[in-house]
Amino acid sequence: MSDSPLDLPLRAQAAGVAAGELDGAELLEAALARIDERNQAVNAVVETFPERSREMLAGAPPGPLHGVPVVVKDEWPLPWRAQRFGAADMLVPASPGESGPYRALRDAGATIVGVANMHELGASSTGNVSVYGPARNPWNLERCPGGSSSGPAAAVAARLVAGAVGADGIGSIRYPAAYCGLTGLKPTFGRAAMEGHHMADVSTTIVSGPLCADAADCRLLASALFGSEMQAGEPRGLRIGVLRDEVSEDVDPAVRAACEEAIDALRAQSGGEVREIELPDLPAAALATVLIANAEGLRGVTPHRLNHLHPELSPLGRGLLKYRILLPAAAVAKAYEVRALMRRRLAALHEEVDLIAWPTVPAVAPPLEAPLVELPSGTHTADQANVRGAALANLTGVPAVSVPVGSSGGLPSALQLQGAWGADALLLDAAEALERANGRRWVEAVPPLAQGAPDPAEA
Amino acid sequence: MEAQERADDFIAAGLASLGVEADATELAVIRAAHGVFWPPILELLELDLGGVRAEPAPDLSRPPAAEA
Repeated sequence: MSDSPLDLPLRAQAAGVAAGELDGAELLEAALARIDERNQAVNAVVETFPERSREMLAGAPPGPLHGVPVVVKDEWPLPWRAQRFGAADMLVPASPGESGPYRALRDAGATIVGVANMHELGASSTGNVSVYGPARNPWNLERCPGGSSSGPAAAVAARLVAGAVGADGIGSIRYPAAYCGLTGLKPTFGRAAMEGHHMADVSTTIVSGPLCADAADCRLLASALFGSEMQAGEPRGLRIGVLRDEVSEDVDPAVRAACEEAIDALRAQSGGEVREIELPDLPAAALATVLIANAEGLRGVTPHRLNHLHPELSPLGRGLLKYRILLPAAAVAKAYEVRALMRRRLAALHEEVDLIAWPTVPAVAPPLEAPLVELPSGTHTADQANVRGAALANLTGVPAVSVPVGSSGGLPSALQLQGAWGADALLLDAAEALERANGRRWVEAVPPLAQGAPDPAEA
Repeated sequence: MEAQERADDFIAAGLASLGVEADATELAVIRAAHGVFWPPILELLELDLGGVRAEPAPDLSRPPAAEA
């Protein structure tokens, strides 16, 4: 690892600038140089705008992220750039503007140094399709970085920046956090800045949220997105709910072992207990989430529009958009009933447990060329397998965090902690307790790409 | 085979009735998606939810309101 300030945690960069020990301009130039140096390998950042970034820094208020470079997923407009949603055609008009995450970062004093890649139309957990070409996993460049917040995760894992803003409509922060060995928070619905998102007024599943190396950095960046500071706390006596169903058990053995070890470590660290719980109908909940998200994504879709899609939209994207219009309304209506049922069940469960823990994804990052995973039940597409554990938080509105807890074949594995509505701070406290319990081994792991490479900014 | 034929009929008729055109590649994607989604959609339609009804305009930032 170099001694570049870019390799410091987000909070240390912010503290260094605040104390006058680091210079925001030097951090920005170092980030731009680091992107020049490493981004070709990972394709995490799809656009930089050095003059805009320098102007943003020059006008930055003395906020909690003053002078700290970050990247934002290609899902929100910036005043100088319209979002593209990772696609040649996002079906609805897009134009530059002050989005909620932009305002939140600006008001916190941060410097947006670039726009990060994403899976085309936000439509997959893999990140292997994008109008910009796929982002690549810094742990293994032939593996998926996760999606749809592929670029934010790859950028932080490659140490291009220490913090990134992603979006999570069906696991899209947690999947890439898991694949890239990061901590990623899907906040409680409605809590984080969303203004300016092209679906902000119709989506009931999408939230913005942070991807960072660890929980403390996520707390800092999430606080900016929330517009209110989350205080760190020490979780005591955590009641951790675990499921004995396919979400927890139809899992790659190495991932399952890492998650079970982590759950036990968190229990011991907090002086808490593990309780077996039941949460029936999770497959129906996952399907309900997909149906609701796809139905909400139909805004702006007409047969005429579908017949005139941009020719550079991928065949996969084109086919899925056209299939979306065939989904039966009766199933979508039933999906809203499933949502009501699962919300009731979670409300009751959280009388008994503080957290529900299960693997974020059932297997490590699959190959970019063929995103399939091998599970005890057989071979599945990564999307089919991943949605099982991630969708519930989007369906019901509760927060969830993905925490790195192991490594298999040189690729990270991760545990998801899901909490009750508004328990975002508790989740990050629990994630931090877990980091302490395992000696911060996994949050401090650095991919080969980011180890020891010379930093041109320091040359 | 019969299920595949029914799926092909549904896809072709559905797209045609909406006036949506699809080339061979797009049709292959649609067939694959249909194969993944349709069986669980049919199961969902038959799922007994015990009379639970959708929440009207739920506040997803909070737990559901207590039943009256």
